[in-house]
Amino acid sequence: MRRSIITYLKWFCALGAAGVLMSCAPAAPGGAPPGDPPAAAAQDPVVYTCPGEDWGYPTPFTRYSRGPGYIRMSFLFDTLTWKDEHGVIPWLATEWNMSDDGRTWTFTLRGDVRWHDGEPFTAHDVAFSYQYVHDHADQIFWSGDLARFERAEALDAQTVRIHLSEPVAGPHFNVFGSVPIIPQHVWEDIDDPNRYLAPEATTGTGPFTLAHYSKEEGVYVYEANPDFWGGRLKVDTLVFPNVPDVAAALRAGVIDEGSFWGNEVQAVREFEDDPSYRIAAGPSFWVLQLIFNPERAPFDRVDVRRAVAHAVDRQALVDQVTHGGAVVANLGIVAPETAWANPELPDYAHDPALARTLLADAGAAGAEVTLIQAGYDREAELIRADLEAAGLRVTVQSGDRTTVDGLLQEGNFDIAISGHGGIANPSTLENPTWPAPTSANPTYDALFTAQAGELDTDARRDLIWQLQAMAADDLPVLTLYHPLMWVVYRADAAVVPFYTSEGIAGGIPIELNKLMFIER
Amino acid sequence: MKAFQRILTVFLVLTLNFFLPRLMPGDPLSYLDNESPGSDSPLLVTEATRQKLLAYYGLDRPLGEQYVDYLRGLARGDLGWSIYYNAPVTGVLLGRMRWTLLLMGASTAIYVALGVALGVISAWRRGSALDGGLLVGTLALGSAPSFFVAMLLLIVFAIRWRVFPIGGASTPALFHARGVARVADVAAHMALPVTALVLTHTWGVYLTTRNAMLGALGEDYARTAFAKGLRERAVVVRHVLPNALLPVVTEIALRLGATIMGAMFVEVVFAYPGMGAMIREACLARDYPLLQGAFLATMAFIMLFNLAADLLYSRLDPRLRAT
Repeated sequence: MRRSIITYLKWFCALGAAGVLMSCAPAAPGGAPPGDPPAAAAQDPVVYTCPGEDWGYPTPFTRYSRGPGYIRMSFLFDTLTWKDEHGVIPWLATEWNMSDDGRTWTFTLRGDVRWHDGEPFTAHDVAFSYQYVHDHADQIFWSGDLARFERAEALDAQTVRIHLSEPVAGPHFNVFGSVPIIPQHVWEDIDDPNRYLAPEATTGTGPFTLAHYSKEEGVYVYEANPDFWGGRLKVDTLVFPNVPDVAAALRAGVIDEGSFWGNEVQAVREFEDDPSYRIAAGPSFWVLQLIFNPERAPFDRVDVRRAVAHAVDRQALVDQVTHGGAVVANLGIVAPETAWANPELPDYAHDPALARTLLADAGAAGAEVTLIQAGYDREAELIRADLEAAGLRVTVQSGDRTTVDGLLQEGNFDIAISGHGGIANPSTLENPTWPAPTSANPTYDALFTAQAGELDTDARRDLIWQLQAMAADDLPVLTLYHPLMWVVYRADAAVVPFYTSEGIAGGIPIELNKLMFIER
Repeated sequence: MKAFQRILTVFLVLTLNFFLPRLMPGDPLSYLDNESPGSDSPLLVTEATRQKLLAYYGLDRPLGEQYVDYLRGLARGDLGWSIYYNAPVTGVLLGRMRWTLLLMGASTAIYVALGVALGVISAWRRGSALDGGLLVGTLALGSAPSFFVAMLLLIVFAIRWRVFPIGGASTPALFHARGVARVADVAAHMALPVTALVLTHTWGVYLTTRNAMLGALGEDYARTAFAKGLRERAVVVRHVLPNALLPVVTEIALRLGATIMGAMFVEVVFAYPGMGAMIREACLARDYPLLQGAFLATMAFIMLFNLAADLLYSRLDPRLRAT
């Protein structure tokens, strides 16, 4: 018995020692030696490294629904059109035209494109992709609006025609530029694309192929597609490691670029005077807003909502909470960096005295209200102080985001702080109080429907400006601020990141446009 | 009787696993849309889309039906489909669990060996400067939260001196590495997280060993052994230590729970791909199937450890074997 215990202990100590040895193994500079180095490369391969985490297996259907998931997929898959820093550009389609009624679009496709597996790309793939995405849109989060898609047909190998049930304004903006084209020969027998995780599922026509993906490590490794139709790539390998602290990893040289937003401006400022780094700034197409519940007193009265607009010091939120990492928001919700934003809206200047008077006149002085929020504690404190100064009695209730969203969706709140993106796209105006379903105004809704089918850009802009004027007048929400975004990148890196005009695809504000990797 | 108790426990836990996540406000769909600019998609989910998605994931059906389905799935060994990760729950869990087990296994082995060794030395040299130093040192480290120690290690060794990688479990660009290169890479990434866990968990084992040893050293048999003129080392290691080990085993079994918690925090600091970050994400996202699976796995582990402790007890204490 005694001996056996000693044996256990010895075994245990040996294990411990092995553990110590294991964990003390020194890290080779720049990581451990590679397993099998590429055979006699003329030059060192160019590697570009961006921080990231898991955003799903990068197929059009298994990527996670948010922007970074789309970006990781967009390196592999192409769309009919794409966007650069100035606007829409031809991509798989070289030219297109719209019928007079706006319901039929005909695209001429490039003839020199092959899938990653060597099969030729044709108009049949495009027709198939639109039909397939449309048919499966119910079970995926789709960021383009295919509700008005009717059918697609290949006229010949290089011409495809897409029929819509009703005209859609600026469809290349949110549909033709975001529906990824998938190979018919891979997908035609797949019933549930949501659960199709085979290696072939990443076969696209894009500039990169997927070399490695680890869901649990949040790691992606892409390799340049040597047969890419769109020109030579500036990098051989694109790597997304998961790092704990982007600024520190950037300083340590582990990554080539890092993205920051809002109050992270303080981290960005530390790189400002360092010649080894460059900084580019861009819009986030995101808005933080105060959502009123117009079905509950006292916010059922527009005077009270206007009083709140005068009471809240929005500039103070920008200065004190974001440290200057944001701009005061457009009261018409739409991103001020776009041509869709109405520049002539009332500004409800910060005026505590006026706010008090308005509230008192509306008989709302001393009313008790509950402000709900998740993760915006500092904003909530400042707003609470402003509203109390104006004469409301405010209780702040904090929860996690899903809880607050749940309350908003039920319409079970007085007033809430909540934010959302996608405001480069005027379709964001459809429901100004999203995710709460509380704003109902038939005139407004009719105007929204009219602009969605208006094919003349100037006329459409006019309608969108009217919508914003209505929103700013009626104030279903009080917009607070739009954060800014920055990318800090190494001055000696192989590529230069840039911000895409009105966002990638349907308005993703991230700098990782695949064009930055292509010699243009 | 004991078997019946165990079965009842398992059934209760399975039921709680199902209902607890669903008691939280909100549902799995709200998390899938917009959050922050950096992770934004231009997607505002309409009510119609929400309903279709709820139906797709079976979340629109009565709770009773969902519960029966869940139990049926479990009986088949099917844990379901993670809504947030869009992958089979079993796959997500196994992928993550590998890393957490590696981290926990290595650090537990080290801190147990270290704690027992230091405890024996401390008790043996009771009252010496060495004893005092060990006591103060382990307690000071042990009272610091593991994530704090982890952050210190990260700043000093990964960011300032760049001796160890800054985070993750392996070097992405070396994904094709095999054999020694792979082991070295993984070990280098483990070094700091393991050190953080060892530093913050050694004190428990150390203190328990020291106290048990002090008690046992005062027993008659120890005095007899010394009086017989046996070498000091032989008395301590062969006679006293085995008798002092029982409370240490208890301490280790209890500490495993704390190690899981500590590992989760440390994983977040080092962006290590373990269960910690996943459970956090699954909670925020209300990913019911994944939460069910994660809790089930955690429960299985804890029951396994308890069973192992029971078995080890009866090996260590002959009196328990009779019963």
